[in-house]
Amino acid sequence: MRFVIRRFLLFVAALLAISVVIFAALRILPGDVASVMAGLNAPPERVAQLRSQMGLDRPLIVQYFSWMGGLLHGDFGTSLLTGRSISSMVAMRASVTFPLIVLGLVVALAIGLTLGVVATLATRPAVRSAFHFVAIVGGAIPALWGGLLLILLFGRGTGLLGILPSQGFPEAGWSSFGSALASLVLPALTVGIIDGASLMRYTRSALGDVMNSGYIDQAMACGYTRRQAALKVGLRLATPQLVSVVGLMFAGMITGVMVIESLFALPGIGAGLITDLGNRDLIAVQSELFMLAAFFLFVGFLVDLLHRFLDPRLKHAVQGGAQ
Amino acid sequence: MPTNSGAYGENDATDSKATGNNENETAANVAGSSANVSDNATNTGSTGANANHDAEAKNTGSTDETLNAHVKGTSVGNVSGGTGGHGKKKGWTWAIVAAVVVVALIAAFVVIRNNRKASIAPAQVHTADSVTIGLKLAPTNLDIRNQSGSSLDQVLVGNVYEGLVARDSQNKVVPGLAKSWEKSADGMSYTFHLNRGMNFSNGDKLDASDVAWSINELVAKHYHDSEALMNFKSVTATDADTVKLDLTAPYANLLWELACRPGLVFDKNANYDMKTQAVGSGPYTVAKFVPNDSITLKANPKYWGTHKAATSTIVLRYFGDDNAAVNALKSGDVQVLAPVTENLAEPFVKDNANYRVAAGDDTDKFVLAMNSKGAKTSDLRVRQAIRYAIDHKQLIASRGGADKPLGGPIPSLDPGYQDLTGLYPHNVEKAKALMKEAGYTPDHPLELRLTYANTYGTELGDQLRSQLKPIGIDLKVNVVEFSTWLQDVLKNKDYDLSMVDHNESHDFSQWTQDSYYYNYSNQKVKDYYNQAMAASSDSQRDALLAKAARVVSEDAPADWLFNYRITTAMKSGVSGFPLNLNQTLLPLYNVRYMTQVK
Repeated sequence: MRFVIRRFLLFVAALLAISVVIFAALRILPGDVASVMAGLNAPPERVAQLRSQMGLDRPLIVQYFSWMGGLLHGDFGTSLLTGRSISSMVAMRASVTFPLIVLGLVVALAIGLTLGVVATLATRPAVRSAFHFVAIVGGAIPALWGGLLLILLFGRGTGLLGILPSQGFPEAGWSSFGSALASLVLPALTVGIIDGASLMRYTRSALGDVMNSGYIDQAMACGYTRRQAALKVGLRLATPQLVSVVGLMFAGMITGVMVIESLFALPGIGAGLITDLGNRDLIAVQSELFMLAAFFLFVGFLVDLLHRFLDPRLKHAVQGGAQ
Repeated sequence: MPTNSGAYGENDATDSKATGNNENETAANVAGSSANVSDNATNTGSTGANANHDAEAKNTGSTDETLNAHVKGTSVGNVSGGTGGHGKKKGWTWAIVAAVVVVALIAAFVVIRNNRKASIAPAQVHTADSVTIGLKLAPTNLDIRNQSGSSLDQVLVGNVYEGLVARDSQNKVVPGLAKSWEKSADGMSYTFHLNRGMNFSNGDKLDASDVAWSINELVAKHYHDSEALMNFKSVTATDADTVKLDLTAPYANLLWELACRPGLVFDKNANYDMKTQAVGSGPYTVAKFVPNDSITLKANPKYWGTHKAATSTIVLRYFGDDNAAVNALKSGDVQVLAPVTENLAEPFVKDNANYRVAAGDDTDKFVLAMNSKGAKTSDLRVRQAIRYAIDHKQLIASRGGADKPLGGPIPSLDPGYQDLTGLYPHNVEKAKALMKEAGYTPDHPLELRLTYANTYGTELGDQLRSQLKPIGIDLKVNVVEFSTWLQDVLKNKDYDLSMVDHNESHDFSQWTQDSYYYNYSNQKVKDYYNQAMAASSDSQRDALLAKAARVVSEDAPADWLFNYRITTAMKSGVSGFPLNLNQTLLPLYNVRYMTQVK
């Protein structure tokens, strides 16, 4: 319990620090939303007028505290450009990005775990190096290129086997469930195959470590075959390590799928962040970054908790050390 | 690519046959059974990932057998456990099969859905009630009174909001809400006679009081482009159908400006959030707006005029990525794409049975500004040398060849145009001589920085660098975000060379403003311009503007790389889509899509 509280306080402190960093870093950027709004032909007075309308001429400290004040009430502010609440904008984009990530993760897990385990269990050197090769090549594929390849293979209208939509998200969103899901298949495969390859490497190394430990010898001494030992004992022991990796992978994907979102013209979080930043809609950008940072930290926090739950040895080790 | 499209057709056919057989089965499979599904999916021609999985599954089997044999060989006690081992092996195989099944299930589901969609083929010619149009630059909000950007004019002017007057595809002023008008002899007073029985989409009546209110608000609140209404004195509604607008001095561009944002008429009684909604009098209403992604327009059932919408729903989709846009046209998700780069439009040009590709005129000027007060570019010889050194034909050819050369600040669709390309013809020797005179040679080059926004791609910068190298200019290309360009170049004038697409029309006044980022100032130009704006006839105005433009071009404060022409690609069967000016003026009321008989 003490652990949970300590982690939580750390979480809050980190968020505060992050808010200051985000706010300051964005103010260093050249350009502002008023001049973007005013455009090429506007006289300087018009830009100044817009700045004061939007409250951009207030001292930075005041702007920071008004932002933080809103955050404390759960109000992420209103975009200066779109006039919509930032939380609703993010929610709309998240309804594309999160399903994409989850699907991508499912593909990555299916590929990574399976191949990782198989690669560990393989005894023939040729087979092992073949898997090694697959992992390296898969991990080295640039997401953009991999996505293009999949579009060329399966994109409707362009592909050799043109069965899947290669761009866009249905206008009706998830209420047209089938086409929404269909539009995410190719992007999810792109993400999944590439992350699956790196997950395969992690799986192999985590499982490999366990395989070389005494646990496996012990299990085999009890009558398990090597394979049984790996699956029953090895995987269980490797799970905490894999959970960390998958947790981080999940969090990292939120911004990592940015390229994929733009390639497949999906209105997701990454694509939105880039647009907002380009327009210097700083209130939107800072709230979005803040939410991402909070989410990232939260996933880390969860992974830590899960880690301790999955591996009781950790708890004893810490307590033992303290005594 | 006729051969390829044939191949697609075949694929589709096989797919739909397979689907026909499997449809019911799959429905059952979804309910619970497992092994069949994976077969099913393979039959349907599912994704490569599945094939891989199957292959892996086999692999695993063989590896495991060798493994087991190995284990059996070493430990004698395990012979009886052999059967147990096989049981476990099956469990493991099942796990893989389950994983495959999950993926296959999704794939099968998707394939079936798509084919079902495809199988609803049109039985005869009919006009689609919905057309989707792919565009590039997306509006962030709908507040046309405050937000700059041609993407807003493109979607809203003439479609949702209407102006006192309008402009046609030749950029000429035509009647709008006003059916006629008179100008007083001194050019300082205009009387507009409005159409009768006009109303907004919310049902409110539109009359002269709305017109006067809209223009007065624009001036009082300094809304976007309010400064374009030069010499404005007052506007009043003399009766319900008549509006009188007075000026302090004649202004020859007044009518044209009233066809743009300054002339838009809003409902003085309506109260709505202009960033997310729009209440206008045009043939369309905004049904849905997703910032940076799409706008759905629906025919305005209360529309009063003659431009009644031919298609009841028009969806505008915005593509940041050019390839995604092209894929959308290929897959039929959009029926029109504007603009499309000419190089990407090639497959559509070749497939002229199914697509039509055409270019339209526009007022986009790609301006390579040379800071007239810059430390290195204030030397006229340097600026002239740059103009001589640039090979415009090559620039245009590498972009596909649709763009037009432009020798001065006024494009062909604007008043005062004349062909000025002869002033600085491509002449490397002359450029070299001028640079030498200024003290630079290829061995001692002049270092210049070119700043432009990343939306224009890197090719132009690369080409300019290689074209300027032989005359003794070492060009450093600095590609930045648009907002950074706004700050560094437009606001702070901190640049040597800058490139931007000035897509505005009637924007010659830029060259008369000392404070504009060009840092250009010539009294002769200002005099000509002021005389032109005070001119009593259009021809007099045009002649004076042409004179002013010639002086500007001679002074070489910039090089006009080309007049960008918009290439539009559309499905054959689409009609009524405007080609000229369609990035700023896109009347959609006449757009139709007739699906063809198969």
